[in-house]
Amino acid sequence: MSCWRWIWLDLLSVVKDRAIALTLFGGISFYAILYPSPYLNNVPTSQALVVVDLDHSSLSRQMIRYADANPGISVTGYAATMDEARQWLVDGRASSMLVIPEDFRHKLLRGKQVTLGYGGDASYFLIYSAVVQGLTQAGLDIGHNIQLRGMLAQGMNPTKAEQSLDAISLNAVPVFNQGLGYPAYVIPGLFLLILHQTLLIGTGILGAGQWQRSGYWHQLSPLGIVLCRIGTFTLLYCFFSAFYIGWCYYLYGVGLLASLGQVLLLMLPFLLATACCGVAFSTLFHRRDLPTQVLLLSSMPILFVSGFVWPLTLIPQPLVWLSQLVPAVPGIMGMLQLNQMGADWSQVQPRWLQLWGLLLFYLPLAWWGVKRRLQQLPI
Amino acid sequence: MWQLLRREFHALQRDGWQLALISYVPLLGFLFLWWLFSAALPRQLPIAIVDEDHSSVSRELGRYLDANSVAEPIAYTDIQQAVAAMRSGEVFAVVRLPYALKRDLLTGHKPTIDLRYNGQFLLVGKLLSSQLQLTLADGLKQISRVKQLAAGVNPAQVEVRLTPVAAQSTALFNRNMNYVGFLVPPMLIALWQLVAMLSYANSLNRELREQSLADCYRLGLSRVLLAKFLFYTPLMLLHGVLLLVMMYGYIGLPIAGSLLWLIPAQLIMLIAVWLWVQAMFFVIADSARVISMCTGLFAPAFAFMGVTFPTSNMPLLAQWWRALIPSSHYIETHIAIVNHGLGLTTVLQQSTSYLGFLLLLLPAWYFAWRYGRALQPERQASGALL
Repeated sequence: MSCWRWIWLDLLSVVKDRAIALTLFGGISFYAILYPSPYLNNVPTSQALVVVDLDHSSLSRQMIRYADANPGISVTGYAATMDEARQWLVDGRASSMLVIPEDFRHKLLRGKQVTLGYGGDASYFLIYSAVVQGLTQAGLDIGHNIQLRGMLAQGMNPTKAEQSLDAISLNAVPVFNQGLGYPAYVIPGLFLLILHQTLLIGTGILGAGQWQRSGYWHQLSPLGIVLCRIGTFTLLYCFFSAFYIGWCYYLYGVGLLASLGQVLLLMLPFLLATACCGVAFSTLFHRRDLPTQVLLLSSMPILFVSGFVWPLTLIPQPLVWLSQLVPAVPGIMGMLQLNQMGADWSQVQPRWLQLWGLLLFYLPLAWWGVKRRLQQLPI
Repeated sequence: MWQLLRREFHALQRDGWQLALISYVPLLGFLFLWWLFSAALPRQLPIAIVDEDHSSVSRELGRYLDANSVAEPIAYTDIQQAVAAMRSGEVFAVVRLPYALKRDLLTGHKPTIDLRYNGQFLLVGKLLSSQLQLTLADGLKQISRVKQLAAGVNPAQVEVRLTPVAAQSTALFNRNMNYVGFLVPPMLIALWQLVAMLSYANSLNRELREQSLADCYRLGLSRVLLAKFLFYTPLMLLHGVLLLVMMYGYIGLPIAGSLLWLIPAQLIMLIAVWLWVQAMFFVIADSARVISMCTGLFAPAFAFMGVTFPTSNMPLLAQWWRALIPSSHYIETHIAIVNHGLGLTTVLQQSTSYLGFLLLLLPAWYFAWRYGRALQPERQASGALL
């Protein structure tokens, strides 16, 4: 049988197998919508703030208005005491509190320092950081106003007063994901992982069902089977990858800095290595419902070990070494460097070579596994 | 009933994967995820510092950055090199101290310090941005202090002049912003939910694989299901309790409430998971596809919990989907007890949110009844043979 005919039959059996078709076609299109859906609003806004205003002055009310004007914060209520405000947080009616001390205005006018209290529910870091950032900004603005007023009262030139307040300007700008949005952060890595996992599941289910029976798949030599199956799945995943990387990345506003040629060049060894790993992996299974289970349980560890959520320098080295055997890990990092952070090809090359290396590593394993399974086959 | 339980036990003994799933697989997963995040507090993240001024002021600021435990400054002589290091992810931020920084400060011009941080690695980027800004502001304050004193301001007044409004921010319920306390519990719960789902689905699927579904009907379907429930609930609950003891006992994460109240919450969550699996099983009745569908539902559980990204900011559709996953109900109880120190009344109150899962009994019951009818001729046939 010719290779092309084999690959054609293989493609047909993928499409006809309802469990595989469900995972591949259903899973990939469903996850493309489902996974980003919680993050579509990009950044946390309008977090509920409860205010403990012990001062009740014009200045304290101004502070509250400043806080409320921040997009991250929305003032939802007032509490008389700190304990009451704490109860708001515990009940979930608010996620943060602002405490304005007594004599806030009085002390400021007398030229004494006052301390504002910001509290946020740090069970949710994103909420906490949004709220504290907003309150800090509001507090700085209030302080700034007071200073400026004082200087003007002393007869200082307004321009000079402004200048002496900001002797230096700090120009802090996020790069690569300029809006600090959640989809642009999660999607590039996550979608590659989905491609990786579904590919492994597809080859796994197909292999687990086939190796113990005879059929068209046995009409080639073991090496031929491995190579042709890699061909089948790479061909199929060219389309899925094009959908994810070409269309979904664009749809969800992920940073796209690499050229088409470079992305294709990186995806080629990624798909080949993953498909080869998948064939090797499929020879371990006798039951069709097992590959999904193993890969499901491994998804979260692979995602977190890939280094874009938790920095690689903080992950224990043995875990990092172990993870380098999973094609998704160099794949995700290479894609982030190349496409999201705009690195040169020379900087991505180590990962690219690693992917080719993984292909060479899994190829003999896949060949050996398939050969062993063929020999076990009752004739 | 005892015999049915023994039937489950024998089935378990024959199935290697199922044995692994209820013994060491969850443990390995828990340990892996905990070990991965065991650093808990981000420290010494590499940042690039490009000093183009080489003055006492720029060196002073460099020392301030070095003193921050979160950042590990690496000196670059050329901004291009620093940018390249940033693009390849070697450093997470670039601080550029411009040429003539000191001279501009002394002559009353307004120099600009450029700070770029990596937004692609959001967690690291946001942390570094706030830490570096605080550190630089602190370093610059020292410089302004000297300036104020030189202008003849009374030393007691200097601090007030510099910062009339000081701030004290408190991270409530997780004082030191520990990432283990924040991320690991929801992650492990998501993993635990997956293991529970898989073990129960496997137990049901086995009846299909070994074509013993007819046996189940003969033995009384509800009794077989009850046996499965009685068999797997304590096993999985044991894992759940182990997980809690490991996190709050052994690792010693802070807990405000009592661990005891989490056990009923876990039990309720398990029941909701069982209801899902049961409904999927009877509706689909194909082992590989049951696993696929349950995977589709439960795999994104972590993203939908609302711990990393707040629930209130999710679009409405995502919030509805979130309500379908038992772990997102559980995590609220978990946080209420562990972080906010609430008690049993909260567990009971929040358990009412699970009531919707009882609707899953309807399709399960209907399809189970249909299978029962389809299997009936077989039963009669086998009965006739006997």
